[in-house]
Formats: sequence, C-alpha cells, structure tokens
Amino acid sequence: MKKLSLLPVAAIVAVLFFQAIPKSESNDHPILNPEAPALPADVKAIVQQKCYGCHNAESKNEKGKAKLDWDALEAAKKSKALATMGKITEELEEGAMPPARFLESNPDKKLTAEETATLMAWSTGKKKKSE
Amino acid sequence: MKTWQYLLGGLGVILVALQFVPNELPVVETENPGDLIGTGIVSDEVGRMLKQSCYDCHSNTTNYPWYSHVAPFSWLVAKDVREAREELNFSTWTDYDMMEKLEKLDDISIEVSEGEMPMGIYTAIHSSAKLNEAQIKQLVEWAETTMDLVVEEEEEELEEEDSVE
Repeated sequence: MKKLSLLPVAAIVAVLFFQAIPKSESNDHPILNPEAPALPADVKAIVQQKCYGCHNAESKNEKGKAKLDWDALEAAKKSKALATMGKITEELEEGAMPPARFLESNPDKKLTAEETATLMAWSTGKKKKSE
Repeated sequence: MKTWQYLLGGLGVILVALQFVPNELPVVETENPGDLIGTGIVSDEVGRMLKQSCYDCHSNTTNYPWYSHVAPFSWLVAKDVREAREELNFSTWTDYDMMEKLEKLDDISIEVSEGEMPMGIYTAIHSSAKLNEAQIKQLVEWAETTMDLVVEEEEEELEEEDSVE
C-alpha cells in the first residue's frame, strides 16, 4: 500500500518534467521551425546560428522583429516571401547585416564569405529548394 | 536705426544670398510610357489616390508649388523628391523586374499601413494628400493583391518560355 501511494507523486514529478522541457527550450534558445520546408537545410543552419537570435517572432529586439521575422517568412505566401528575399539580398549585398554595432560585442555572429554566398544563392533564387 | 531693424535687414540679406546657392529640383517629365497607371493593374480609384498622395514625390510628374523654388525650402524639396524617386518611381514602373516590383509593393503596404507614408511633413502642407482609414486599407489591400498578380504574371511568362523551348 505504501509503495502504491508513491505512484501519484511519481506521476506529478513526471508531469513537471515534461512541462519543463519545452518551456526551457522556447525561452532560452528559440529554434527556427525545423518542420517548415521553405528554407533549404544549409540556409536554415546559418540563419539559426547568425540571424534568428534577433529576427524571430518572440524577439526582444523590436526593430529586428519588425523588419524581418524568419518564422513569418517560412509561413508567408509566395509573393510576400519573394519580396522579403529580395530585401534580404539587398542587405547582404550592402554587408549591412548583422549590424556592425552588434558584431562589436558578438564577433562570432559575423557571416563568413561562404555563408553570405550560400544565403545569396538562396535569396536570389539561384538555388532551388530541391537542390 | 534700432537693433531689431539691423537684425531684420541682416536676415533679409541672408535670405537673398541663399537664393544664389545652386540647387536643382528634379526634372518634371510629362511623357511617361512606363507609368504604373496605364499598365492596367490599378483601378481608377487607387490610381487617383496614388496621384493625390504619392505622385508629387514618387513620380516624374511632380507638381512644384511656388515656395519649392525658394531657398531654403527648395533644398528640402529637391532632396526629398530626388530620394523618393530613387526609392520608388511610379513613372518608370515597367522598368522594374519582378523582384523589385514585389519589394516596392511590400514596402508600400508596410509604410502606408504604419502611417509612415505619405510623410507627415508633406501632408502638413498638402492636406489633400492625407489618407483616411478606409483609403489606407484600400491601398494596402491593393498592394498585397498586386504582389500576387506580379508573381502570377511572371509564372505565366516562364511557362510560355518553357513551352516555346
């Protein structure tokens, strides 16, 4: 009987565990929707690492969120997505992103030439989704 | 003479001198075969709104009021119109490629819905250029619908090219 009475306690502990897992993930490290197919995997990896910290739906960086939200881009219809990709291309051509001031304190977020090329190939449509 | 008279005189001399600073207002061109209005993607009503609220800066058909020829206002007008045409010129709409059209339409929908455009400094003087809530809604809807049309057009062209090959 005593062992059986432990069951509800164990159940509660288990529930707490399950609740804790997704919560801590979404709060500490926002993750770009891995299920949405809009972005090729290599592009998504770069975006996740270098852009998504500011450009996501929950971002505390209001300007970054307003200018570009990768979650919204993945869900956007074609015309809106293309328009956004065009603007991303412009930013990349100017080397304007990530912003220089942000890079001062986060030098590891700087895009390498190769990463920029990968992003541009996608944003200019020179690389198809299936490739 | 009193001090205030000297000051006023000095100000007058400065204002006259300002008129000799070279400044060129962007040229007005009345013949614009590539203008957005005339491509058939704008209803009469939206066309009228664009002309009334946007075309003074975002087209080659700027209507310069008299004071836009007087420095220092002329400097501001010249700069704003020049930059506005660079950013978006409805008079050369057909020169834009698909991506540019999409970007510009997307910007129109964002800027107009947020009340950033037409600019406050412009509507303060040109009150007829102000857009009311209903007009803003209509313009934003037009921009978003047109984005879809632009993509469809491009896809049809691509299909035609494919079928030719």
